[in-house]
Amino acid sequence: MMALSCLTRALRSLTLSQPALFSSQAITQTRLGTQGPKAVGQCRGFLTTTCLEQNRTSWKQTEKYTTRPMGMKKTGGRDQSGRIRTHGIGGGHKQKYRCIDFQRLRYERNNNAQPFEEKVVEVRYDPCRSADIALVAGGSRKRWIIATENMQAGDIIKTSGVIGHMAVSANEGDAYPLGALPVGTLVNNLEIQPGKGSEYIRAAGTSGILLRKVNGTVILQLPSKQQVQVLETCMVTVGRVSNIDHNKRIIGKAGRNRWLGIRPSSGLWQRKGGWAGRKIKPLPPMKVYVNLPSISAQ
Amino acid sequence: MFPESVHCLKTAAPFFPQTVLLKDLRRLCTHGGASHVQPSRHFAVSRPLAAKVPPPRKPRERVEIPGLEMVTYGERMHFVPGLSKPVNPQWERDYKDPRYYKAPPAHEMPLFKEKPCFVYNQRTSALEGVRQALWLTKTKLIPGLPPQLLSLTESPANQIPDQDERVQNAIKHARFWDTTQERPGKEKYSNTLLFNLLHLCATLQSSHPGIGRRILSEKYSLAATWKRGEDLFQIRGQNGLLQNCMDPLPEVSGKQEVGHTADQVLETLYPVSPTIDLQQVHMYKEQLNCTGFRDDYPYPHAHTLYFLDGADATCKLRPEQFRAKMLMFAFGNALVRAHKLYGSQPQRVLDRPITVQAVGTNGRIFQFLVLQLNTTDLSGDDGIKNQVWLDENVELYDFAKVRPLIKKKQVKVPAGLAGYKPEVFSKFLALYLHGAV
Repeated sequence: MMALSCLTRALRSLTLSQPALFSSQAITQTRLGTQGPKAVGQCRGFLTTTCLEQNRTSWKQTEKYTTRPMGMKKTGGRDQSGRIRTHGIGGGHKQKYRCIDFQRLRYERNNNAQPFEEKVVEVRYDPCRSADIALVAGGSRKRWIIATENMQAGDIIKTSGVIGHMAVSANEGDAYPLGALPVGTLVNNLEIQPGKGSEYIRAAGTSGILLRKVNGTVILQLPSKQQVQVLETCMVTVGRVSNIDHNKRIIGKAGRNRWLGIRPSSGLWQRKGGWAGRKIKPLPPMKVYVNLPSISAQ
Repeated sequence: MFPESVHCLKTAAPFFPQTVLLKDLRRLCTHGGASHVQPSRHFAVSRPLAAKVPPPRKPRERVEIPGLEMVTYGERMHFVPGLSKPVNPQWERDYKDPRYYKAPPAHEMPLFKEKPCFVYNQRTSALEGVRQALWLTKTKLIPGLPPQLLSLTESPANQIPDQDERVQNAIKHARFWDTTQERPGKEKYSNTLLFNLLHLCATLQSSHPGIGRRILSEKYSLAATWKRGEDLFQIRGQNGLLQNCMDPLPEVSGKQEVGHTADQVLETLYPVSPTIDLQQVHMYKEQLNCTGFRDDYPYPHAHTLYFLDGADATCKLRPEQFRAKMLMFAFGNALVRAHKLYGSQPQRVLDRPITVQAVGTNGRIFQFLVLQLNTTDLSGDDGIKNQVWLDENVELYDFAKVRPLIKKKQVKVPAGLAGYKPEVFSKFLALYLHGAV
């Protein structure tokens, strides 16, 4: 009986015609009751604010490629939730981002898959990376690329996607597929998957070494002495990356680190565990980025 | 929503048996409608936990199967789950409203052409500078001004009385006296200096009546079209100050020299294409040639163009690019005049070559240019070429300092005007008097 009365009372509260109120809400209603019956009818409650936790917006405004430097927003080591994900980042001089074209083998609209040449217009410092960048112009387009060691304004650099029978005697700064280069060349701006754009060996002064060529794939040694096997059609530039004395520079004072956007590390003394100290380990196994057919499939 | 509403119900109505309450609530609230509502809008009190930004959801793909009609809830006038959304026909306004005009896509515009046209406008900064401009205009470069022009000012009849002093006063006025601030800005002093020098040159009108047959004009829009190789080029824009004349300028080099230019080979810009940095447009009018003035204008011939470096604040050109701009616009003016006189068909040799002069300055450094248009047949790389005499980076004075430069208690550069060079003004005057002597 009691349950039924409760049920009916609850049900009555849900009728759309007459809003029934519980006691606490009744109190609030009487407080506001002096304003008279609200004209607003019943409505579904809705969220009027967006989630404030997701404040990750990209500062990039254009999808089109441009050589103009664009203003950048610093993250301070914070991720989209606003908390610090990486410590020690923040402040520093304002930097403008120059869009670098990492895909060296990018043909122009008129040119259909022919090797082409480009002229280096200027080589300059880039605040966003340790290496220097070069503005190259070829055909009717200009783009920024990572400069190699002895690149100067006025040089002509070649980019070719053709793999011949003989290995090419490559000049520094030229870009060829791995299969076209002789064994033992120093290379940089390595592509792991053909056409994806270079993701490895881009830092100042680094270079990889072509170790050997194995039918259709090539084995390289990265600057960390890790060996890697990739397809021979992946593009790579010849030579060492520019600004080779980058690791020999002396910061000199704490302020210079702050100008670079590096905040001081935590001063808390922590007992060093197994992670600290010099490690002498065998080289990790070679990383293979090629889908080779398995040996069992004869 | 459930925990909070349960909680408030619990606090509000303790006489409700709890088990019943919870079960009822769940039953009652499942329909998700407006339960326990107050008459006022209420805002949800829940907030989602921290999560990654959800990726933008693509709207569901609408599949069109020909012959199969979609059953929509359009007729029922309310949403019915399971039926598709009615697609309404695109409504077009039957009257023209400029506030809601949507331009058609590029290939439906009337002036659209498949072949692109490369446009050089007043903000173009050519990568290769003068070399690129020389290739585009099929011109041969001769460093230094032509000797007959320089010899014009040697006779005292073509000189202004008290020339040096008056020019120095003009510079001092532009650089020091023309402001209430400490020093005038670059745009201001370069403009003032140019007009002061022009005024000085114009004082010779009493002895040279030809000067009276000229007029200055600004902000006129030039447009010229020509074909070079496979591509179509246009030069368009409002370049600078133009001095127009009733009579054309005499030609600078004779027919023999013009014939010799046919043996010259144009410098190639490989690997850079000469169309680099030019604006590529697909919508243009073919054979667009416009001097900027009407046909019955009493001063049809372009005499000299005056370019100021700081005129456009948004466009800062390096000296090489500035000279290229001067060359291109002088060429544009000459070409448009040639098209008007001899027709728009390319002519291998013009009977009377058209000469146009140009002066560019940034307030201190001057660039002088004399262009002679010998041919309008610009499609091939061989044949007679146009000629340009270019005198670059001549300084009118070294320093015009408001405060002296003192290093280690020694005055390195005194205040005031220092290092005035009189021959630069004589060149300026020679270019001005060319045609009126």
